Amino acid sequence: MNTEINFHPNEKLLDSFAQGRLPAGMSIAISAHVELCNSCKENTSVAEVKAGVAWLETPESKSSSEFDHLVADIVKQPQQKNIVVEPSSVNEIHMLDHSVKLPKALAKVASEGLVWKKLTGGINRAELLLDDETQCEFVYMKPGSQVPMHKHQGNEFTLVIDGSFFDELGCYKSSDFVVRNKDQIHEPASEEGCLCFAVLDSPVTFTRGMARLLNPMNRYKFRKATAKKAE
Amino acid sequence: MVSVAPSKSLGASARETNHANGADSDSSESLLMAVGNWQDIAAYNKLFSRFASKIFAMGIKLTGNEQLANDLVQEAMLSVWQKAPLFDLDRGSAKSWIFTLSRNRCFDLLRKLKRQPSCVSADDIWPQHEENTTLDREETASLVTQIAQIEKYCVQLPEQQQAVIKQIYIFDRTHEEAAEALKIPLGTLKSRLRLGLGKLRQLIGVEQ
Repeated sequence: MNTEINFHPNEKLLDSFAQGRLPAGMSIAISAHVELCNSCKENTSVAEVKAGVAWLETPESKSSSEFDHLVADIVKQPQQKNIVVEPSSVNEIHMLDHSVKLPKALAKVASEGLVWKKLTGGINRAELLLDDETQCEFVYMKPGSQVPMHKHQGNEFTLVIDGSFFDELGCYKSSDFVVRNKDQIHEPASEEGCLCFAVLDSPVTFTRGMARLLNPMNRYKFRKATAKKAE
Repeated sequence: MVSVAPSKSLGASARETNHANGADSDSSESLLMAVGNWQDIAAYNKLFSRFASKIFAMGIKLTGNEQLANDLVQEAMLSVWQKAPLFDLDRGSAKSWIFTLSRNRCFDLLRKLKRQPSCVSADDIWPQHEENTTLDREETASLVTQIAQIEKYCVQLPEQQQAVIKQIYIFDRTHEEAAEALKIPLGTLKSRLRLGLGKLRQLIGVEQ
């Protein structure tokens, strides 16, 4: 899986990931890439060491002794001798003619059950509700499909899980982590078919043709998705 | 209560890493292993006084919520006790390990507070151990050691130069941001940085 990965989260993003400062949706996308990419795995370890050093520099506003009353109860608890990993009920996604193994964090969220919806142009998407700041979805592009030209008001992070897609700026293969910033217009298409996990931090705006009619709907959906957790 | 004063912690961490092989029974690594191997309560108390206040500070910084920060101290220090037998010296220092445990608990607590779906937890996002990992552990370990080495040399520099190097290389600040954080003119910052790096090169033994 690790042959050649050309697109990675940048250092700043990995630092924020290691510090635990990113919303869940983005953290999951980066976690999945890191699982597939040795160099990002290594950089994450280094970022964690750095974050640990910086952490110990944080000024203190309470002294440890104010928490001393907690110790008596803690040391009565049993210790954990083995690593317990709860298996996910879903570990792969079935495509037309083959199955794709999912990175662990994605397998966990897919286990909640994916509801696929068909869009025009051979695109299928299954939306997920993971936090109140992002919109996350699995996207499956059929062979020969194309997403209408669009731009983003915020950032879009796309992890290619299987297959490949291309746009005006490049071609992206399995394990690539693609970042599209605000106002970059693009029109992704896939020849061989492609499964992705995409995270948006604000709604998509379609810029061309009939797809523009979807725009108010998109904003509505994003608001709905990000408002739901307030309940 | 012994607690690591902020200005000393680089020194303390260098000392910890230096004696990570158990030579220093008071290093966080030795204490953590005593907790993991023999449920050593005295050792746990020492770790507690070293890290509880820092965990509280992390909670305040990441959540801005005092109640949550209090809960975080309990949850994270409970994790330290429960998972101590799983601490693996080869994979890094005690402080890094306690940092990642605390970060994970903080992430989960905040998500619970915001009532975000519980389908995925921090331990899924940052798995502790991966089976069949192809990661070259030695390489990572050597990077980690290098950082510890540099920390060790860093504390030999005059404090003002240390502060500048920390701002730039640990907090990843720009020169301008660092000057503002330290409340010194940009020119002063640059000259301290140049002097500090020069001295550091000398200490490490890099030829100019």
